[in-house]
Order: sequence, then C-alpha cells, then structure tokens
Amino acid sequence: MTAGDGVRKALIVLSLPAAALTSLMLGRYYLPPQVVFSTVAQAILTHHAPANSFSVPWVIVVLYRAPRIVAALLIGIALSVSGASLQSMLRTPLVDTYILGVTSGAAFGAALAIAFLPPSIPVEPVAMVTAILAFIAVLTIAWGWGRGSVIALILSGIIINAIFSALLSLAQFLTPNIHRLAAITFWLMGDVGRAADWWKVVRMLAVIAPCTAFLLASRWRLNALSLGDDEAKALGVRPSLERGLYSVVCAVMTASAVAYAGIIGWVGLLVPNIVRLLVGSDNRVVITYSALLGGTYLLIADDLSRALTSQEIPIGILTTIMGAPFFIYLLRRAGRVWR
Amino acid sequence: MALAGGSAEAVVEVKNVAYRYRGSETEALRGVSFSVPRGSVTAVLGPNGAGKSTLLKCILGVLKPLSGDVLVLGRSVRKMKPAERARTFGYVPQSHNSAFSYRVLDFIMLGRVPHHSMFSMPSKSEEEYAIRVSEELGISELLGRSTNEVSGGQLQLVMIARALVQEASVLVLDEPTAHLDVSNAVKVLTVVRGLVRRGRALAAIVSMHDPLLTSLFCDHVVVLNRGVVEACGPTEEVLKPELLRKVYGIGFTSLNLGGRQVPIPEV
Repeated sequence: MTAGDGVRKALIVLSLPAAALTSLMLGRYYLPPQVVFSTVAQAILTHHAPANSFSVPWVIVVLYRAPRIVAALLIGIALSVSGASLQSMLRTPLVDTYILGVTSGAAFGAALAIAFLPPSIPVEPVAMVTAILAFIAVLTIAWGWGRGSVIALILSGIIINAIFSALLSLAQFLTPNIHRLAAITFWLMGDVGRAADWWKVVRMLAVIAPCTAFLLASRWRLNALSLGDDEAKALGVRPSLERGLYSVVCAVMTASAVAYAGIIGWVGLLVPNIVRLLVGSDNRVVITYSALLGGTYLLIADDLSRALTSQEIPIGILTTIMGAPFFIYLLRRAGRVWR
Repeated sequence: MALAGGSAEAVVEVKNVAYRYRGSETEALRGVSFSVPRGSVTAVLGPNGAGKSTLLKCILGVLKPLSGDVLVLGRSVRKMKPAERARTFGYVPQSHNSAFSYRVLDFIMLGRVPHHSMFSMPSKSEEEYAIRVSEELGISELLGRSTNEVSGGQLQLVMIARALVQEASVLVLDEPTAHLDVSNAVKVLTVVRGLVRRGRALAAIVSMHDPLLTSLFCDHVVVLNRGVVEACGPTEEVLKPELLRKVYGIGFTSLNLGGRQVPIPEV
C-alpha cells in the first residue's frame, strides 16, 4: 500500500460521517451543528423525546432526516456492494445488478400495483415479489439451460430485462387514469424520501445488513472467481455454484432497496469502478470501500435532491447526471491503469 | 529432497482416459495412459490440437473424463473435493486474462484460496510466505506492480509463484512457453526444472509444442497426437526423428549436443 492509497482510503472513510452530519444539518430548515449534536445525543441517550416534547429540531432530526439518511446509506450500500460483487464474478466492470433482472422486475410490480391495485395496498411488497420472480426467471434460464456460466447469466439477464420492460410498458399503456400513470412515472425515477420512515428502514436493514455481511465475509473469494472458471476451479472454487449463491444475495438486497426507493441507476456501476480506480481491484478492499463510498454517494445525491431546488428532484436523475461526468473525468485521469 | 528421476515411483498415473466435448462427434482424448515419475519434469508434447490442454484439464479435475481415471499417489482425483484437488495440483495456465488487474502480491496470494473456507481471509504469515516464494523465484521487485504491467515471461513466473504458494504437490503448466521469446522460455523452464530438482514439487507436468525445448528441459515425455498417446518414456529414448516426423509431418534430424541427442527440424 502506498501513501497515496492510505490517504484515499482515509478520505473515503471520513467522508461518510461528514456527509451524514451535513445531511442532518441541511434542508429547508437549516440546523446548526451544535443543535444537531445535542439532539442526536439526546435521542441516543434517552431513547425518547425531550420533556418539552416534539421540539422542532427533534422532529426534524429524529423523525425526518435521520431515517432518510439511514435509508440513503442502506440503499447506497446495497447497490454498490452488489454491483461490485457482480462485476467480479461476471468478470466485467460493465454490469450492475440490473443484469439480474431485479430492477425491471420491481419496476413492473410497482407499475402493476399503482395502476390496478387499490391505494390501500402498499407498492413495496408487490415490487419485491416481482423483482424476486424476475430474478428466479434469470436463474432458471442461466442455470437450467446454461449451466451457470458467465455468458448464460448475462444473456438471460438481458432477456428477462427485455421481457419485464415490455410488461412495464404494457402496464403503463393499460393504466386506467392519467394520475396513476403519472404516479408510475414518478415511482420509476426513484426517491429515497419514500423509504424515510423508521419502520421501512428497519425492514430494509433486516435484509441489507446480513446480505452485505455475507458478501464482505466472502470478498477475498470473489478475487478467485474473477480469474475465470478454469483458474477458479484449479484454486478449489466451484464457480457455477458460488456464482449462483452470490447472485442470490445480490438480488435479494437490491430487490429490497429498489422496492422501497424505486429505480436509482448508475450507483452500482459507478461506485465500484471509482473505488477500483482509487484503491485497486483487490476485492478485499473493493467490497469494503464500495460499501462506504456507495453510502456516501447516495447520501450526497439525496442531499442535492432535497436542497438544490424548492421542489425535490428525483434522485435517480441526479445519480446519473452527477455520476457520468465524474466517471469520464476519472477514466481520463486513470489512463491505461483501468482497462 | 526428491530424487531426480532416479526412482520409478509414479506420482501421477493417467489410466485409460477418454474425453469428448459436448456437441463434438470425435473424442478429444482416447485411451490415454501414462505415468509421471517422482522427481521428473514430464512433458506432454504434441502439435496444436493434439489434446494437450484437454488432457491437462482432465488431470486437474477441471474436466471430468468420459472414462478412465487419474490417480495421484494412488488416490483417484475423482474422489477428491475441489479444495483438496487444488492442494494437490498447482495449475499455471497458458496466459492470464482478467478484466481486473491485481497487484502481483495479491494475485500470488490467491494460491492460498484452497487452504481457506469461504469466509476466511489470508493471514500475515501467509503473505510473508508469498513474499519468500517470490524472492526464491527472483520476482520480488514485481510484487507492488499490477498484473497487466508485467511482461509475459514475468507473468508466467508470477503464476508459478501462485502455484507454489498453493503448496501443491504437483505443478501443472499449460504451454508455459507458448507466448514467450526464447530467453524467457528458457528462464521459465529452468525455474520449473530447478523447483522439481529441489523437491519443491514432487513432479511437474508441462504441455509443450516444441520438441527441442522438450528435449532440453524435460526428463520424461508423453507424445500426444490426435488424442492418443503415440509414445512415452525418457525424453532421449522417445524423441527420435522417425516419431517426430510421424507426429509433426516434417522431417527431423538428431543433433549431438555434448553427448545428448536433440531433435532439430529439417529445413
């Protein structure tokens, strides 16, 4: 590890608490840092509202901003860690969890729920179910007929994505009224605010935390998988079996994130590649730092989405608009190191 | 220390192995049998398409033979678990082509994977071992570099280091000299022979396409042609001009080189 590596790693680590603190302060109602600190300390130490119940800072910090921050962190972690893992095991830096069909599956489910189900039925479970169904279809094609090879997995992902995109268009086409159609469009743009509720956060946490822990624990093995199947086998790895296992974990946590927040593109593609440019390709480092940077990146994107204009800009738009130029800059700087 | 070709004890026995690729009509290997003596560098020699890589993959257990068996010190490769197989054979592929470039040290460390469970990480002492192995092979100055910055010859040495870190009993190298110039080819084969001589591996199985390099570096040779064993035995006895003419379809002469007969193609 060079000194530059150390500095870059430290910056990634420190940017997360810095971004979290800033996010607690910023918003339509600015809270100075000392107020944020005292409110957070109070909430953590006493576990309940102060005596003069529901002071404005308490409501803003504990009920609105904190769950939203935790939600953004969780979603960022889920998308980045699963993106990084998939890129390694599919041996290409150009994929994202969309290749597992979960995103388009969730989009179709959400459209179905919004268009045809009574508003009393929540969108999330429906999106979650269709996301998992889409993934099962991908698995069936890839392992049923393609013996779990990299190319079989990528191709079946492309096929299932195409089918679910068509089904999404069909659902939109058949949507009975224009307001519901608009609701579908907004859902597709992605919004962390939708998941900013402690109960939803807890449910996401229950899925994303164990999945992330699993991938973190097996991150060194992902290096062996990235060498290709023959070399992996010669190192005692069962490539097809392990690829299957890791893709289940990635799909489940992405489904959870997408079902609650809608479609947030580019994070899973961008963050792991930035991490590789900054600290190298060893997954012992990449998975860990993708989690940290992914959380921070989504948090910053969400802050901008809340603070840039008087009306919130959907975060899915921002993650792409912010990400693409930054990525181009990094590619230019990295030159031939990244290939 | 292992004996240099003195003992006839077989480390690896290939027994009547056949293999056919899915969707192919002809068998890539038919009735392949030979044994690899302890302390030997054994070449699998043959022209392009003879089935050398297929044979190596069957030995490694990467491909499952249609029939026949491969025994290592009397134990069937089929009955071994993948990690156990990987602790038996250290595989050095022809070339390495990854979408990601790793730091050479991290790449060599992957040889430790078969010694670990799914959720464990290599330790500091394993890293020190990897560093010692690279010093042994004279590549310690490469450790901090990236795998896509090193030359073909260096990469072969790096992959040999990985196989040594794997602490495998037998080294298996797939055409290590295929992409190398003559100086690097000689360097790599010298290293492999030295490792076997020093007992760092019980034996090495090396697929080769060049009869000359084979006769210079290998003690034992299995000549493979169109999926069948044409001949096998000590290199000098086997690599006669008549046999090579039959296998390669061009004439060869035997040249006396310091009391040793080496085959040279006629031009």
